[in-house]
Amino acid sequence: MNKLITLIAAGAVAAALSGAASAHHSAVQFDFTKQVPIKGVVTHFRAINPHMQLILRVNDAKGEHLVEFEGHSTNNMYRNGYRKGMVNEGDIVTVNVAPLKNGGEGGYVVSADLAGGTHFGMVSRSLDAAKIQQQAEGK
Amino acid sequence: MINKLSVALAATLLTASALAAAPKHPDFTGVWTNAGAPAMGGTTNAAANVPLPMLPGPKARVDAYNKLVQPLGETPGGWCLGTGLPGSMLGSGGYPMEIVQREEQINIVYEAHNEARRVYFGARNAPQEDRVPGRNGYSSGHWEGDTLVVETDNLVDQIDQRFAHSDEAKVVERYHLEPKLDDKGRRVLVADMTLTDPKFYSAPVSAQKRWAQVPNGRLLPYECAEEGWTARLAEIAKKAGVPVP
Repeated sequence: MNKLITLIAAGAVAAALSGAASAHHSAVQFDFTKQVPIKGVVTHFRAINPHMQLILRVNDAKGEHLVEFEGHSTNNMYRNGYRKGMVNEGDIVTVNVAPLKNGGEGGYVVSADLAGGTHFGMVSRSLDAAKIQQQAEGK
Repeated sequence: MINKLSVALAATLLTASALAAAPKHPDFTGVWTNAGAPAMGGTTNAAANVPLPMLPGPKARVDAYNKLVQPLGETPGGWCLGTGLPGSMLGSGGYPMEIVQREEQINIVYEAHNEARRVYFGARNAPQEDRVPGRNGYSSGHWEGDTLVVETDNLVDQIDQRFAHSDEAKVVERYHLEPKLDDKGRRVLVADMTLTDPKFYSAPVSAQKRWAQVPNGRLLPYECAEEGWTARLAEIAKKAGVPVP
């Protein structure tokens, strides 16, 4: 079973990478008035511009499956506490995301709680939709 | 008596020296970030704060553009394209900017996409025929008292801007420091923008951006295009039947 999940994960990551450029979207598709915590295992993470890439293996009502997220630019992540090496494949993390307005899975990572209690995020766990939207706008 | 005379003379010389050394213009050198409302930024042309006096032909083009890209959530910035004028000077997606000021030239770097502008003064200016068109055009500067005036031409057609424009657009920016520090003790640089474009607008359009100085601030690098090359390298490797090195 684990092997099957690994294979599925590898395929999904490959698919995500092959379409990496097309995964960069405007922030307007996300609802920054909401913040949803999602816990999972990191199967892919890249701190890049214009948007961070993250794929988590989550286990919820749908069972175990992969969910793709995007997030802030490397610059804004560094300004808000992220540092190189904080997020690695296999880590269990909880990300707080602005969900997609269309109800789809995934979302825009606003902040993250990492194994060991480390936290990084745009506005230190508080919901400041206007600020987050402004910093995410157009990138 | 001699001592008093000496003190008075020294004071006079010091005052004269200070006046001679005083800069002719305010120094805007430094890193600046959003000072607050009005919060301008990004490249979308869908959220202008006021109705724009846009002519019917360009309006149809802009509407068609929005209809095409907005449902997909696509933006030029998402594809690592710099913002271009006037979006760059109006906030550049919420990222900071750095100004390096010399008497004959001012360099402005917007952190997003490492977008750079150069403003030339007087004899530093290039002849009109040598000016290369681009998304930030060609900028020439002069001072009107303590106000920096930047005039930009040689822009290219950009319907992806909040203030969409043609290649005939001209942008005038006027920068001045607010007389008082803000409530956080920061200098505030006010940028007033006026865009005229007979191809796109029946009247000039204007906007304002306020920047607050970041003491000892540093811009961060913004590498963005690497993903495109990574994807291309994967394609090349796949076509060659070899793994990505």
